[in-house]
Amino acid sequence: MAYRTHLMVCTGTACVSCGSFNIKKLLEEEIKKQGLDKEVLVVGTGCQGFCAKGPIVVVQPEDIFYQLLSPEDIPYLVEEHFLKGRPVKKMMYTPPGEKIQIPTVSEIGFFSKQRLIALRNKGLIDAEKIDDYIGRDGYNALIKVLTSMTSEDIIKEIKNSGLRGRGGAGFPTGLKWEICKNSKGNPKYIICNADEGDPGAYMDRSIVESDPHAVIEGMLIGAKAIGAQEGFVYIRSEYPLAIHRLEIAIEQAREYGLLGKDILDKGFDFDLQIKQGAGAFVCGEETSLIHSIEGISPEPSQRPPFPAESGLWGQPTNINNVQTWANVPRIILRGADWFAGIGTEKSKGTKVFSLVGKINNTGLVEVPMGITLREIIYDIGGGIPGGKKFKGVQIGGPSGGVVPASLIDLPVDYEKLTEVGSMMGSGGMVVVDEDTCMVDLAKYFLDFTSDESCGKCVSCREGSSAMLEILTRITEGKGKEGDIEFLEELGQAVKDASQCGLGQTLPNPVLSTIANFRDEYEAHIKDKKCPAHVCKALINFHIDPDKCTGCTVCAKNCPADAISGNRKEPHIIDQDKCIKCGICYTVCKFDSINVE
Amino acid sequence: MGNKKVGSVLVVGAGIAGIQSSLDLANSGFKVYLLEQTPAIGGTMAQLDKTFPTNDCAMCILSPKLVDCGRHPNIEIITNAELGKVVGKAGNFKVEVKKKPRYVDEDKCTGCAACTQNCPVSIALYPVEKIYIKLKDEDLKIVKPILEKYRDQKGNLLPILQQINKEFRYLPEDILRYVSDELDIHLADIYNIVTFYNAFNLEPRGKHIITACIGTACHVQGAPGLIAALEVELGIKVGQTTKDMNFTLETARCFGCCGLAPVITVDEDVHGKLKRADIPGIVRHYKLMEEKQDA
Repeated sequence: MAYRTHLMVCTGTACVSCGSFNIKKLLEEEIKKQGLDKEVLVVGTGCQGFCAKGPIVVVQPEDIFYQLLSPEDIPYLVEEHFLKGRPVKKMMYTPPGEKIQIPTVSEIGFFSKQRLIALRNKGLIDAEKIDDYIGRDGYNALIKVLTSMTSEDIIKEIKNSGLRGRGGAGFPTGLKWEICKNSKGNPKYIICNADEGDPGAYMDRSIVESDPHAVIEGMLIGAKAIGAQEGFVYIRSEYPLAIHRLEIAIEQAREYGLLGKDILDKGFDFDLQIKQGAGAFVCGEETSLIHSIEGISPEPSQRPPFPAESGLWGQPTNINNVQTWANVPRIILRGADWFAGIGTEKSKGTKVFSLVGKINNTGLVEVPMGITLREIIYDIGGGIPGGKKFKGVQIGGPSGGVVPASLIDLPVDYEKLTEVGSMMGSGGMVVVDEDTCMVDLAKYFLDFTSDESCGKCVSCREGSSAMLEILTRITEGKGKEGDIEFLEELGQAVKDASQCGLGQTLPNPVLSTIANFRDEYEAHIKDKKCPAHVCKALINFHIDPDKCTGCTVCAKNCPADAISGNRKEPHIIDQDKCIKCGICYTVCKFDSINVE
Repeated sequence: MGNKKVGSVLVVGAGIAGIQSSLDLANSGFKVYLLEQTPAIGGTMAQLDKTFPTNDCAMCILSPKLVDCGRHPNIEIITNAELGKVVGKAGNFKVEVKKKPRYVDEDKCTGCAACTQNCPVSIALYPVEKIYIKLKDEDLKIVKPILEKYRDQKGNLLPILQQINKEFRYLPEDILRYVSDELDIHLADIYNIVTFYNAFNLEPRGKHIITACIGTACHVQGAPGLIAALEVELGIKVGQTTKDMNFTLETARCFGCCGLAPVITVDEDVHGKLKRADIPGIVRHYKLMEEKQDA
């Protein structure tokens, strides 16, 4: 049946938590009530990327973007737009600081600067329907591979495309496949690494939620190239919706004969299993992930032998990240030259970043390699909220570093980021402004890594806790002369002596903040001041008696009963009782609370 | 104590720690009595292949010390013996040692091992007493199907533990012992896995699990403040459960809802873009829900 209009309701995790399932249900009911259910179809899609504005509905084919919908909006929206044909302006997107709404997706800066390959189906298909995927050229690449390409052809194509591992390290994918194909041993396994442990990154979850078949198709092609018959998707248990959609997708692919025995009658067997993680950051490391699937203690092991030679149960194993797999079908279908034409000399194609933190348009963006940070932060991200000063962007999670504001014109690719002491990582971009304390941020990452260190190597286990201890001391105002130099020395030692990626990269957040924001460290140590007013031990809250109106809001909200004063008279904070939680600062409507 | 060495020392337990202490003491001039319960010194380390965290060969470290210990003039090894009464105070102890019979003349035995090889009766020296865990019927009803589902799969421990953790909201000790018996996996190995991952709990948890995200995006957007407010509101610290067993407060490293930072979840519900002042309202909502149910 043909419908004149499709309503694409975003049902990614972020929008779901804003109530998008309810919005979808209400839309369906309202459309039925108006007798439009034969003309308008409501589709639940995966994450559309613009998470800050959820719940989101996109009207196709008009391409109209509705945002921040609430249940009360729905009857009006349906009546105005779908019955009377008048798009509702007040529910459309208005760029920060402007007054005129932008009606269509393609005109919104957040979307127009993006180049979609891995996320090409986002917002356009129902992730739980394989037919939607097939309708968008889905599984055509698999047909091409099975009918007209040999293993060597596939590997050559991927090699020529210049695709590199999207998990962060950037190892050439084609080369990885070739090593695995050529190593002796049978059976061979392939694994999709969806253990997205980086705090602040969620692109893998989004791809699995919005386009699970792209991952499955990519893995099928990889399996054909390498000669594997069994595959695993190792996914975080914190992503229930993604696991659910992937289960459905695998089931549907089996029904269609795209997984299992004798796929498409070409004598090619391949099947997939889902393995759930249990919340350990180190399991994103490939040897550790393999141990986790095997059910033994998931500590990383020494490489070589690399998994391509001796991986899962001692067999040759190929591991790639979700995003890498999702790129594969497009490369096969459109050719290596097309893909190699996007990006920079050494980094080809696109990369999905999760743009979060102190930025207006938080969400997922896919951009060509080589785009500058300025374009990402200002053109796509819409700048920093509240007119605050942009301070830097933390790229690559706990393994990455902070790129300072002075390097905003840096083109983003693997090499350039490494040069400035950061790294691509899985692609989390956390934007920080003047209210973020860099020492506190470094301490935050060390707290994370020292907690997640598996403890196998002394340098990582002891080194991370020693660095954390020093950073904690600095944020408590007990920093000593020489601490910075010692941190630098210790960081280098941990880098040199650790076995796996976790230990080798965990000093990055500290080293890069020292390199770029040394003055902040010095302010903490020498002046005992936190310039961003974050470190509790170094700040005090005071009420400005001239501005305080005695409204009592702060006193009512203070959890420690530290604020006293009569109604309509200036209040006062008892510094001995104050726990520096900052609630009074947030609730005061008269800007009368000062932080020093 | 100065340079004058007096008296003697009793070291109880001849594992690697006991051996090293004895050697150090003996080298500083003390007479050392090294007491050991089993027939031989060496302890657990002698049974290990490698040592943590350097992966050094265990016997390569241990055996020179065993030899040193055995022929040190200041060390007297007393094996197959137990510590009885200890009386006295620092500087003057009297100790009773109970020595078990060996049925072999220790002065003449050279340890050639010919007797053990030729003994016609082979019995385990120390039979492992296996205690089979009996579970309550209602627990068994839940655990058994889980075990059956995964029993023949490779790498099945993790999914089994995940299912049990989901059903009981934590991993009860007797059930872990049962799993260990059934799958023939040592309890220590299970404990290793359980404590490695964040998703498992060894303590009972409350009816509602409140989890505050402490991912990077949430951190810079004020997650520490939310946690402080939650702690005040619930009267517990992170990782604890309220006395009425209604709420457990936990933290997680990123739910992948960074666009909504800062985020907390209560059970399956996600609450995003929160401010500290929002917390009391949310907690009150669930508290009221509980009160209604009780009434």
